Amino acid sequence: MDALQQGELKLFVDSVRRYFEVVTRQEPQITSAFLATTDLDGYDYNGIVTFSGSYNGHVIVSMPPQLLRELLLLQGETDLSEGNLLDAVGEIANTLGGNARKTLGSSLQISVPVKLHGSAGITARVRKHPYVITLKWNHQPAMVCVDMSRRS
Amino acid sequence: MRLLIVDDSNMIRSRISRVVQNGGLPNISLVGLARNGAEAIRIARSTKPEVITMDLTMPEMDGVECIGQMLKLFPKVNILVVSALSDKSTAIAALKLGARGFVAKPFSDDELKMALLDVMEVR
Repeated sequence: MDALQQGELKLFVDSVRRYFEVVTRQEPQITSAFLATTDLDGYDYNGIVTFSGSYNGHVIVSMPPQLLRELLLLQGETDLSEGNLLDAVGEIANTLGGNARKTLGSSLQISVPVKLHGSAGITARVRKHPYVITLKWNHQPAMVCVDMSRRS
Repeated sequence: MRLLIVDDSNMIRSRISRVVQNGGLPNISLVGLARNGAEAIRIARSTKPEVITMDLTMPEMDGVECIGQMLKLFPKVNILVVSALSDKSTAIAALKLGARGFVAKPFSDDELKMALLDVMEVR
């Protein structure tokens, strides 16, 4: 499988920035972007979208509950249950995954998001070194992990 | 106009509901919320919506299949696709299926309102 090019990985940085700008009108701060060399410590709420078709792998959005509560409150949502926080992180992963098609093409297939509660850690499954984006939004940290490759 | 919202995300269903109910859109009433295409068909049979916001990536029955079935049941229904699949070919494909409009996620409240107004005017 071919590794992604820099521009292809950058699309996820642009996508996560755009998500917060459009939905909350509060720009996030991208604090780092790097290739992971070890398993990662994630946050409590994780949304995972799996890629297939022209690419293989997944994107993981990992966020703490406080960020998700504030995100929901800003949108006028009053249900701040665990279920709704999981739903929110799943929808963010869905948005980043779906938006990737604009750059990577319509042969990229995306799954329905899987949502997981618990900071069990993030292990690379496709790339030796997944691409990690860390950010801060409204003083809260978050992480996006891109573990994907182009099919040859 | 009777509105049905179809999306597997509660956050999106809630948000679209609030935009519609608080946004001053004329003559629109929410008649149902569906989590997937199969549920949308079941709700539509009893509520007969005139406008539908439709996600594409959903479990059980996706938006593409749902659009096809919905238009067979209600040929005049106005469908606005609201999807994270923001590539042009998806938008074109949705319109070819019979959707009247397309809004890419993430969307602002104003973008959604304008798209709904556009779709409601097309008959």
